[in-house]
Amino acid sequence: MYEEDQIKPDFGKHPQNPFRTPDSYFESLEDRIMGNINEKSKKQSSIKKIIRLMKPVLALAASFALIFMLVYSPIHDFLLKDSVQTTETETTNTDSLNDFSINLASMDENSLINAIFSDDTNIFTDSDQDDFLAYLSSGLNEVDIYSEIQN
Amino acid sequence: MTDDLKILESLKDPSTKELAFRHLISKYKERLYWHIRKIVLNHDDTDDVLQNSFIKIWNGIDGFRAESSLFTWLYRIATNESITFLNLRKRKSMSGLNDESQYLIDNLESDTYFDGDAWQQLLQKAIATLPEKQRLVFNMKYFDEIKYEEMSQILETSVGALKASYHHAVKKVEEYVKSHETRIEP
Repeated sequence: MYEEDQIKPDFGKHPQNPFRTPDSYFESLEDRIMGNINEKSKKQSSIKKIIRLMKPVLALAASFALIFMLVYSPIHDFLLKDSVQTTETETTNTDSLNDFSINLASMDENSLINAIFSDDTNIFTDSDQDDFLAYLSSGLNEVDIYSEIQN
Repeated sequence: MTDDLKILESLKDPSTKELAFRHLISKYKERLYWHIRKIVLNHDDTDDVLQNSFIKIWNGIDGFRAESSLFTWLYRIATNESITFLNLRKRKSMSGLNDESQYLIDNLESDTYFDGDAWQQLLQKAIATLPEKQRLVFNMKYFDEIKYEEMSQILETSVGALKASYHHAVKKVEEYVKSHETRIEP
């Protein structure tokens, strides 16, 4: 469709080169190009040297990082679960002790004395008895509590 | 053995590589320079692109498989480096795709090494308005008189597509020159 001979630009003038170069530009071109190439080669070889020296250090650092991640993650998860459970138990104990101390504070003197010297063992409900014991033992350590029970 | 083959053989030997490469630069520097110059228009930019092209040639010469002629391969590298350079300038200047023509025209007008008369400047402006591929084809055909078969290897485009590109490029340049010709002072 587009034959070479048929495509002749109708500019009316023969193409000439309107561009020029600085004087002696081409004469020194080889030296400048080889100078650039040698400079770049030197830079590349020093970069390669640095990478070669750093490789074992980087490999060691990467190994430590991997070991740390493999060990840290499960330990962290385990410790996290344990602290959540302990917090929940302490919260429960503190709440029941607070309730019982409020109950005691609301009792008048006569009722408290009657409660202490009464033969009626059913003054407190079972849950109240447990709470009462917990309240009394709140100031005791485990050894003291064991001794009280045994006696 | 042709000169190119002798150069390639010498380039393979580390002891003669630098000398052979200097010989290669001497042989092709002007052809590559003018090819690049017609693409980027400005002398200083051309110098940068030419240096980068020869550095790329030096780095890639060991991998040259001689599937095409040495000159075709060199020309292709120079063309790609020129296009890369223009694209980089375009991105840096934050201008849109349509402003490449304006960038080239500004480059042409500011170039102290352009000695053309008003008509030649008009022609270069017309060429600068062409799309990238048409501009390459036009320069290589109109100024360098490169055969379509060789151009096809350089630009990695079929001969048919190149002929179509050149046809459209010529039409556009003719229209531009004719529409602006009356404005040229005698």
